[in-house]
Order: sequence, then structure tokens, then C-alpha cells
Amino acid sequence: MPMVLLECDKDIPEREKHIYLKVDGEDSRDYLPVANASTIPGTLSERGCAFCGAKLVIGGVLKDTIQMIHGPIGCAYDTWHTKRYPSDNGHFQMKYVWSTDMKESHIVFGGEKRLEKSMHEAFDEMPEIKRMIVYTTCPTALIGDDIKAVAKKVMEARPDVDVFTCECPGFAGVSQSKGHHVLNIGWVNEKVGNIEPEITAKHTMNFIGDYNIQGDTQLLQQYWDKLGIQVIAHFTGNANYDDLRAMHRAQLNVVNCARSAGYIANELKKKYGIPRLDIDSWGFNYMAEGIRKISAFFGIEDKGEALIAEEYAKWKPKLDWYKERLKGTKMAIWTGGPRLWHWTKSVEDDLGVQVVAMSSKFGHQEDFEKVIARGQAGTYYIDDGNELEFFEIIDLVKPDVIFTGPRVGELVKKLHIPYVNGHAYHNGPYMGFEGFVNLARDMYNAIYNPLLKLAATDPRATLSTPAKEAAE
Amino acid sequence: MTPEKIDQLFDYVQERCLWQFFSRAWDREENIDGILKAAAALLTGQPPALDTPMDRLFYADAKVMVSDLRERFPWIEDSGAAQIRDLLHGLKDKLTEFTITKSLNHELNHTLY
Ligand code: SF4
Repeated sequence: MPMVLLECDKDIPEREKHIYLKVDGEDSRDYLPVANASTIPGTLSERGCAFCGAKLVIGGVLKDTIQMIHGPIGCAYDTWHTKRYPSDNGHFQMKYVWSTDMKESHIVFGGEKRLEKSMHEAFDEMPEIKRMIVYTTCPTALIGDDIKAVAKKVMEARPDVDVFTCECPGFAGVSQSKGHHVLNIGWVNEKVGNIEPEITAKHTMNFIGDYNIQGDTQLLQQYWDKLGIQVIAHFTGNANYDDLRAMHRAQLNVVNCARSAGYIANELKKKYGIPRLDIDSWGFNYMAEGIRKISAFFGIEDKGEALIAEEYAKWKPKLDWYKERLKGTKMAIWTGGPRLWHWTKSVEDDLGVQVVAMSSKFGHQEDFEKVIARGQAGTYYIDDGNELEFFEIIDLVKPDVIFTGPRVGELVKKLHIPYVNGHAYHNGPYMGFEGFVNLARDMYNAIYNPLLKLAATDPRATLSTPAKEAAE
Repeated sequence: MTPEKIDQLFDYVQERCLWQFFSRAWDREENIDGILKAAAALLTGQPPALDTPMDRLFYADAKVMVSDLRERFPWIEDSGAAQIRDLLHGLKDKLTEFTITKSLNHELNHTLY
């Protein structure tokens, strides 16, 4: 009976279909959690909106592009600068936020004029920037503002600019996932193939589904440089808008985050015949495997082996130092979806850490197939988990450390359980060999941090008082 | 050919290989066919096809898999070509059953990506 109805879910028994406890002797033909389905009334979801999936995750990473958010100011602020994806041009994308700041009168009388004015104003204020993405949000989609028509008008008035429109209001899907989808498909249909890249190497690829979180893209770029592979486009870490218009010219698509960007890799395969190679970029073992596969595709195995040997020599002793001290740690991963399957085996193999519970906000059933195949028996696999479920799961599995976002992280801190930011990292990058040592260091620092014990102690009394109001 | 040996290969693939879990049934089928064909060539000492970009992709995935299988399951070296083909055939059937025909993933046969 591996689908689990938690105590706290007694009044919303539908949640049973979303929580799986893996046991030996059963497999994904028998049980697979329901995922990418509407949040059940009565459960307080941790999910973001569909617009957020398009803007915060993918579009907003671009380093040379104005992100015009056509909606009330809150939509803009909520999707700005919380993700920490730097760039090599001074972090333009993290310094500024753009919004049409829709108010009641614009909702009543229509917001197209205001959008047009805002687009011109933004281009005038930043004359060196010539690229823009315009997003609809719930209110502007509901009143039917035609953002494509406005974008066309602005492009006619300013022949040197290019504008992409993303029509994915918050309510368009059940979670952020819909926004990933809409942006992927819109981009490949409207923008890819518009520009011819300058080819500077014999071997070319796109690196898809990596958003330069705290420098991931820039770290991996060192590897591709050493292998002599030209990355035509990073989708979308540290990338320029026009790089992504030239994706059709790559010989290979390497996919890290298959959830947020598998769609564009599939479409590029269908339309342009570019093969899709999925890899894991977190972890020593996985990173080496990814480099081996890419090298085999291009027939440069020797270079690949030399790079792996060099990186192992440099970083493996450091990893092993942490492994010695982290062995047997019980970890929970409560993130978006793919990091569950990217991480569960890499922390186990590379660090001796045991993952005891995992929750995904926007993963699909494909993500659960992957993580259940890789994860351990006795581990909980949760779709769209809520706060009360987290409390109960913590009691059941007693994790030593939890990798999650800052919102859930705050909750976890109140229970005096160490938390590491699993979305934007504590002190990344976390990808690649060096990155995984950083992850190990942050996990070590979190677990051995004496402050947590002190925080649990009330100096006025001998009683320790864990705050658990929400669950009571 | 023994079912235990097929199970060992299957457990390895389930744990390590992302290509079995692509988004749609047709992608999964394409990968399983292509990669196991390349693996059969490598394990039986035949030259793998490298003519098209997809051939080279399957080769890249198969190469890593075959090297892992040799390391984890030394008995594979002692298997003859016919036995290897039977083993991979059994593996293909099992993968197809788990990831396609009996998969509970509702999105596998969606007409679009
Ligand atoms: S749900 Fe709608 S209104 Fe709220 S942030 Fe998302 S787009 Fe804006």
C-alpha cells in the first residue's frame, strides 16, 4: 500500500494519490504519483504561477533584454532578483525591473496604450538595449490586451529593436510548468532561425536548461572551452537574446533541465534534426559521464578524458574530505522537480548522503518516473506538497538537512533543522566538479553550524521551544 | 540467457539512463531501439553506425553504458554474440514494458510536446 494518506490530509483524501512511499518489490508500473494536476482545494500549495515559470525561470535570465511585465506591479516584483543568476556584463538583468504598473483605470479602459508608452519609455531610457520580452499577466490577459499587436507597432516605429511576446498569464496552467512550456514553444516557433550565428569551431552545441544560478553556466563554459566546443546558445544562462535565435545551427543539444526546457530540445530535433542528449550536471560521477558522452558524440574522447582527469585531481580530494564527514546524513529535497532526480543518486554516490524525502512543486509524472527509478526504498516522493505535510514528513523521516527554497526554508529554520537553498543555492555554483564541492561545503556548514542548537535554547529557561504554530 | 542477468542490466539502465524517460512514447522507443542497437554492436565487436547525427548520439549513450556494464558485470565478457543479442533483446522488452506499454505516465501519448 505505498500511496500514503498522511494524518494531516484526512480531510482531503485526494492527496493520497500524490504521495508515494517506495517499497522493495514494487515499481512504477504499479504506482506513480499524480503530478502536473490542479492543486486540490484545501491544500495550501507552494507553487508559483505560470507567468512566473516563463519570466523568473527562463526569460528573465537573458542579460541583454528588457523584461516588460504588462500587469500590476506585484507580478514584476515577485519575479525579480530572487533567483540569483548573474551575468558577465555586470548583471544587467538583476539590476532592473520593468512593469506597466497597471491600475484600475487601465483595467477599465484597456492597457494597450500604456504598454506601448512603457515599451518606448524603456527603450528610450536604455538606448543601448535593443531587445525586449513582453509578458501578459492575469489582469491584462483577462481584459484582452493584444500584446502582439502592440509589439508589432513598436517594432515598426523602431526598426532596430526586436520584441518577443509571451502570453502566459498566471492562471494559464496548474503551476510554473506551463510558463516553461509556453516560452519554449513560442520561442522556437517565432524566433529560432531568424539569425545566422558566426561559427568559430568545428564542434557546436546548445546547452539547454541551465540558468547560470550563481555562475553554473560560467563554470561549465570552462569545460566546453577546454574541449574546443562552441556553445551557440545557452538556454538561457548568461545568454544574449540573439544567441537563442541561432539555436538551429548547433550540431547537438545537451539538456540539463529536461523539465523546463526539454520542449525546445524536442522541437529542435523535430524541426532541424538536432539530436537531444540529456545529462546531469550536478555531481562528480554524473558530470564525468556527461563529458564522456559529449566527447564521444564529437569523437574527441581523449580531450574529454584529459579534462575529467584534471578536474578529478583538483577537486576529488576536497569532495572526499566532505564525504568523510557527511556520510550517513539524511537529506530531504523539496524543490521544483528535476533536482530530485538530478541529486538523489549523486549525493548518495559522491557524498554518502541518504535522501529520505523528496517533494516536487511542478514536476510531471516523467520526473517521478526518473526519481523513483533512482531513489531509495523507504523514501517519500511527494507531488505539490504543502506545509502541514512537510511537518508530518519531517516527523516521519527526521532529516538532518533540507534543500529547499527560502520560503519553506524559513519554516524549516523554525524547527531548527538546517536548510540549504536548493533553488538559488547558498554559495554556488553547484554544477560541475568544483560546484559539487561547494554544495558539499554548504551542506557540511549547515549541519555542523552550532547556531542552530543555540537558537533552539531559550536562555531564560531550560526548556527548548521549537516553534510549530502552523501545525498545531 | 537468464532472467537474472536481464534484471541486472535492467536495474542498471533504470538507475543510470535518462534516455529511457524522454517525454513521449515515440522518443522513448527511438532511444531504446537506437541505443541498444549501438550497444549490441559494441559488445559483439562490430563497428557501430556513425553516419548520421542520431547514430552518433546513440553511440555516445551506448558507449558509456557498455563501459559501465563491462565494469559492473564481468560475466558479460564471457558471453558470446548470440547470447549478447538475446540479453539485449530481453532488456529491450523489459524497458519497453516499464517505460512505455505499462507506464502510468499520462503524458506519454500526447500528440504534441
Ligand atoms: S498569478 Fe497572475 S496576478 Fe499573480 S503574479 Fe502571477 S501573473 Fe501576476
